[in-house]
Amino acid sequence: MRGKVSLFVPCFVDQLLPEVAVDTVQVLRRVGYAVEFPENQTCCGQPALNTGYWGEARPCAEHFVRVFKNAEVVVCPSGSCVSVIRLFYPELLAHTSWRADAISLAGRTFEFSEFLVKIESVTQVGASFPHTVAYHASCHALRELQLGSEPLQLLHAVAGLKLIPLVRSEECCGFGGTFAAKFAAISGAMGNSKADSVVASGAEFVTAVDPSCLMHLQGILDKRQATARTISLASILASQSLAGGPAPVPAREKP
Amino acid sequence: MNPTAAQRFLENAALKSADLVHREIIRRGMDSYDAAHLQGRARIKDWEAARARCQEIKREAIDHLDRYLLQFEEQVVARGGQVYWAANAQEASSYVTDLALRLGVRTVVKSKSMVTEEIHLSRALENEGITVWETDLGEFIVQLRNEGPYHIVTPAMHLNRGQIANLFREKLEPGITSDDPADLMAVARRKLREAFFTAEMAISGANFLVADAGVVAISTNEGNGRLCTSVPRIHVVVTGIEKVIPRLEDLAVLWPVLATSGTGQGITTYSTMIAGPRLPGEIDGAEQFYVVLVDNGRSQLLADAEQREVLHCIRCGACLNICPVFRHVGGHTYGTTYPGPIGSVLTPHLNGIREFKHLSFASSLCGACSSVCPVKIDLHHHLLQNRRNATEAGATAWSERLTFRMWRLAMVRPWLYVLGGWWMRRALRMLYRLGLAGTVLDPMRAWNRHRGPVPLPAESFRARWRKDHAAK
Amino acid sequence: MPQNKQARTEKTSAGNPSRDLILGRIRQALLTSAPELSAPAAPSGRVIFEPIHNPLERFQQECIANLTECALTTDFVSSAQHLAKVLASLPAGEAFVQDDSALRRLVELTSPARSIRWSSEGAPREASQVTVTLAETLIAQTGSILVSASCGGRGASVIAPCHIVYATVAQLVPDLATALARIGQERKLDRHSFACVISGSSRTADIEKILVQGAHGPRRLVVILQVAL
Repeated sequence: MRGKVSLFVPCFVDQLLPEVAVDTVQVLRRVGYAVEFPENQTCCGQPALNTGYWGEARPCAEHFVRVFKNAEVVVCPSGSCVSVIRLFYPELLAHTSWRADAISLAGRTFEFSEFLVKIESVTQVGASFPHTVAYHASCHALRELQLGSEPLQLLHAVAGLKLIPLVRSEECCGFGGTFAAKFAAISGAMGNSKADSVVASGAEFVTAVDPSCLMHLQGILDKRQATARTISLASILASQSLAGGPAPVPAREKP
Repeated sequence: MNPTAAQRFLENAALKSADLVHREIIRRGMDSYDAAHLQGRARIKDWEAARARCQEIKREAIDHLDRYLLQFEEQVVARGGQVYWAANAQEASSYVTDLALRLGVRTVVKSKSMVTEEIHLSRALENEGITVWETDLGEFIVQLRNEGPYHIVTPAMHLNRGQIANLFREKLEPGITSDDPADLMAVARRKLREAFFTAEMAISGANFLVADAGVVAISTNEGNGRLCTSVPRIHVVVTGIEKVIPRLEDLAVLWPVLATSGTGQGITTYSTMIAGPRLPGEIDGAEQFYVVLVDNGRSQLLADAEQREVLHCIRCGACLNICPVFRHVGGHTYGTTYPGPIGSVLTPHLNGIREFKHLSFASSLCGACSSVCPVKIDLHHHLLQNRRNATEAGATAWSERLTFRMWRLAMVRPWLYVLGGWWMRRALRMLYRLGLAGTVLDPMRAWNRHRGPVPLPAESFRARWRKDHAAK
Repeated sequence: MPQNKQARTEKTSAGNPSRDLILGRIRQALLTSAPELSAPAAPSGRVIFEPIHNPLERFQQECIANLTECALTTDFVSSAQHLAKVLASLPAGEAFVQDDSALRRLVELTSPARSIRWSSEGAPREASQVTVTLAETLIAQTGSILVSASCGGRGASVIAPCHIVYATVAQLVPDLATALARIGQERKLDRHSFACVISGSSRTADIEKILVQGAHGPRRLVVILQVAL
């Protein structure tokens, strides 16, 4: 047993992309962690924070801190959510009784790949995914959490996986939270530029550490009826497909 | 009813986002910049140390802005120059216009200055019958087209050579046959030489105001800034108050960093230092020298301690170049003097948050701008602060305020969050099954216009977890 | 504020009430401190630019990069020969030359076929084909020449399509920091109203980001760099 982690599942992953969390748990257990899921969790508050409603984000942040304050370590499969907790919770809760807890929690909340590689020095998780994969460098993970090479180190250790370079891999995919709805045309154009690079790379799959990027990109690829598919890093790491066999892409429930 | 700035922005953004020809032109321009920039960075041994040093210099200047401005003014006045402090755009523009009229100026040559765009100076001068020539090639081109600069460093990057040749043929010389950039430059050079040598007044901006030396530093590649400051008998510098730096030697790091970030060069070709009007015994140079220090909202920004560092900006344009929003909608869509990330952060302070807050929302907050800013302005976090300031000022739609109030009520009540989530998925699945995706009944229609619909699983993660763990 | 400074403040604000208004706003604003810098500023030990151990070599490399023609000459006579060669390559037309004794001797040695206007006669004329000047300093780091108003005036380095600089290696300094420090030490900008660090020929990339030489300034910048007196 390596230890116990508390899992924080982003609200949109809980509701729309549950397989990402399922696969995150699977990998953590495989590597030797006990995983607990505090069921009173809801959301990190990012939608309100990013739209400027800090007054509404604050109670949500307080709720989060209340739920997780006794966790040894919190792991979350989303770079953007973790950046909210780490960079903004101390500021958001600076004038509340939760200030100290927020600062403490900010120091022990990690993105999934960050936890494995930076904190636990684990790069080999026994995964097998014999396909070509391009890596999109999600902005929050890259610039707010300084996660540059860690996801790539994990991908390099996956048996059979061929990493295909992506042109302009660090350019934003265009999701941006409420930006995707408020400025849908720009968001769509940015997504299409990203999809252009994915298609041009010839990779079968594109992955990232932020499932929101992937959800947005999948929507773009679906609209273009492209053959390339998105897949979360967690799902790749959970995969133990046999060489040459079909990719065990998690079943997506189409409406 | 006249569309608001926000409505105009949305319309233009939608148009430009779909314009693939425009996107390709910008893409090529930015790829060229990216390559040059990388080369420029390689010349600097420790780029992060350079950024930190530049941040330090600007921080010192802004932290003691009154002291350094007074020191600068004292030196300029001691050498026979005049300094005028203008509280706002109107005052600055009136001062320069009155001065020109008083001194019998018929023609003005202008070297690039974003502040003169900000105060709409050319229009004010032209209204008084004074001819104004923009001498920077890019500015000259957009002036002929009656449009504003597309980008603060390369004003005409949205045009190709064919369009420029047609423009010159129509407005300057009907006999033009070549669209080669060198030939087009030669046409502009011929035309503008007449202006340089007949204009009574030159108006320039300033890249830096050096306090200890009382020097106005102007960087150009073309030499138009040089001709402006050598030939006409009156030279007027129009500058924001934030351009001041403490010492001449600060230029040793600011010049290379400005050039690297702006164009990828090691240093701009002509890094000029003007110390006043011509001295007795000098054979050329302006006889009269004026510096107009423009406030126009900058002291207000200074008072906002959280965002004060926005005044550190050296107007290099790097944030525009890297911004994916800029790359997709282009400079004109912003509808402001300053486009791009710096424009989005700055404009609400200069022109009002109610009218221009939308620019702070028109961003995915990717943070690329902050990562390239040579003076380490935390641009994307300032965009977020502007959003917060806008909602706290009550400047956002009541429907949105209500939505987030309801959102919050659910987020602190796990049972309500779970119920709400389940209901939303169920309702959307039904809606889509009825073929109503993308219609006015579809709350996700903004999403669905440009993307395939989001997945709507029957079970949330927590439902599965509960099931899996109940079974044990 | 000291008495005399206060008097000067009052005096200069007389025709310009906004001056006091703006200064007041600034002082009021600065009463609140900005947040501390999140990361410490660069400790003074960190070196921003690679130190330059071979300035002459670096100067020549940078000139190639910024399209300055740099010709090394061994002595005065060979400098004059190179000057003659460059002048012969240029179209006919007036040459404007800084009135300096060394340049007078140099130009005489070239037996010029064109009319010469000396800086003592006034500013260069618009139709000048070439200007010849000295420089204050050469800067290796960026392949630059520093000129001031004493180098034939302001227009001399920008008006004609070709600008020729005659300099010696003794004038070469390693970097911008040294050149700028020297300006301060020698109070150059108290004695001259203008100086400029020139790093190459005039150029623009405003059309399709394609580099075009000879925008409003010289298409050709020639440095005749004499290595010995």
